[in-house]
Amino acid sequence: MPRYAMVIDTRRCIGCHSCTAACKIHNELPDDMVYNPVTTVGPVGIFPNLSLSFLPLLCMHCDNPPCVDACPTQASQQREDGVVFVEDSKCVGCLSCIMACPYGARHHNHATGTVAKCDFCKHRLAIGKLPHCVATCHQKARIFGDLEDPESEVSKLVNGNRTVRLLSELDTQPSVFYIY
Amino acid sequence: MSNKHQSWGWMLAVDFFFAGAGGGMLVLAALVELFGNSRMSLAGNLLGPAFMCIGCIFLIFELGKPFRAWRVFMNPKAILTVGAWTMSVAIATAFVYAAMALPAKAFPLNLLPFDPIVWRDWVWAGKLLAVVNLITGLVVATYPGVLLGRLKGRPFWTGPGIMALFLLSSLVTGTAAHYLCGFVTEAPSVVVWNALPGVFALLLMFQLVLWIGYLWIKQSGATENEAAAARRWTSGDRSLAGKGAFLFLGTLVPLVLALLPNPAAQAVAAALVLFGGVTMRLLVIKSGDDRTYLPGEKRYNLRLPNGDEAFLHKSAH
Repeated sequence: MPRYAMVIDTRRCIGCHSCTAACKIHNELPDDMVYNPVTTVGPVGIFPNLSLSFLPLLCMHCDNPPCVDACPTQASQQREDGVVFVEDSKCVGCLSCIMACPYGARHHNHATGTVAKCDFCKHRLAIGKLPHCVATCHQKARIFGDLEDPESEVSKLVNGNRTVRLLSELDTQPSVFYIY
Repeated sequence: MSNKHQSWGWMLAVDFFFAGAGGGMLVLAALVELFGNSRMSLAGNLLGPAFMCIGCIFLIFELGKPFRAWRVFMNPKAILTVGAWTMSVAIATAFVYAAMALPAKAFPLNLLPFDPIVWRDWVWAGKLLAVVNLITGLVVATYPGVLLGRLKGRPFWTGPGIMALFLLSSLVTGTAAHYLCGFVTEAPSVVVWNALPGVFALLLMFQLVLWIGYLWIKQSGATENEAAAARRWTSGDRSLAGKGAFLFLGTLVPLVLALLPNPAAQAVAAALVLFGGVTMRLLVIKSGDDRTYLPGEKRYNLRLPNGDEAFLHKSAH
């Protein structure tokens, strides 16, 4: 069984928001919903030593997801391959998972009354394709693959680089790793 | 736009208020039954589970899909599920307990050819129901605090302190509600009823001290996010409601009034306690809007449209 993970190399990200747009268009998200925003950090420093970086965000598909435990209806689920998703037909829109997620990665769909989130484009994974945000990133800043496979690019990057996981102190064990 | 209704609203706060007050009423009634060999007023014993029913109605309306509300019973690992099950048991047993004091000739029981409340004189049943009500009442009074305290990404809530505050508030509002119900139907023990203002005055004193401590610890506390969330209560946009409406009008004033030997003043105190309880929950739930933001996220959200921009209207036409 694979263990999906994503590595985001922030050194390569130029903040073009292609991933945001690709996700929004292909997944047909409502106007008020963004699964993977790209935030701007900085500029920091003192002139002339200034720096600016971009931080692509998305659901962290945590190994220890607080949203799944918080869901009273079992609509929020975690697959064996690590993908965390919402089964829409079971969701009552109680927003417990939104409140439990420390990454702000879940969204209330006002049209359906339920909660929606990034699911690593599991419909594409099922046919061997990459998530839209990864496929569209022309800078190759997003790398996706099986963490359990030692030959995969994500496995090599995670083991060969200094990576960080966001809010690691909360022990959610995200499957999204950042290289900076 | 992405920030619109991404957190709980006022209906959940009202649910927490009614559920908490109902739970507190069950606990007090059970303690009086078990250790005081007496009962609270019939109105009080009926109002406890009725409060919980009202809370459930608000909870259902808070849901995005109210017709699927039954699904909240499905995940035993979720605090909300534990709360839903416990509240269901508490409502049932509390009504069965309250029915013991219903007069056999009261409407609509007088329409029946027999007395349907066969357990009316079973003393052991009263004690057993009191034990169940004590346990379920405590859980119902506490679980909203547990639910909020476990949410790591909400700096104002996170930690065990909020659990103690919710339990205390539930007990104080439950006691105040029982006192007011004593004006509607007489309590079997006048001694117990007369002692209630003293009980909620004591609980209010604890509440005042605990809240001041909670805000002070949060403000000088673990993370900058916690301090910022607490500052909104002490000197920010929530200070008028927090300090004025809740701590002063809903806690300190009723504390003083409850100590006056005057039933009218004590009734006003009890009403103010209920006002303070609902105000506190509204403010606490609103404080959940403050999340632990990731780098650059706040600024990103500020740049998103609010939904009333001209270009959005243009595209809609």
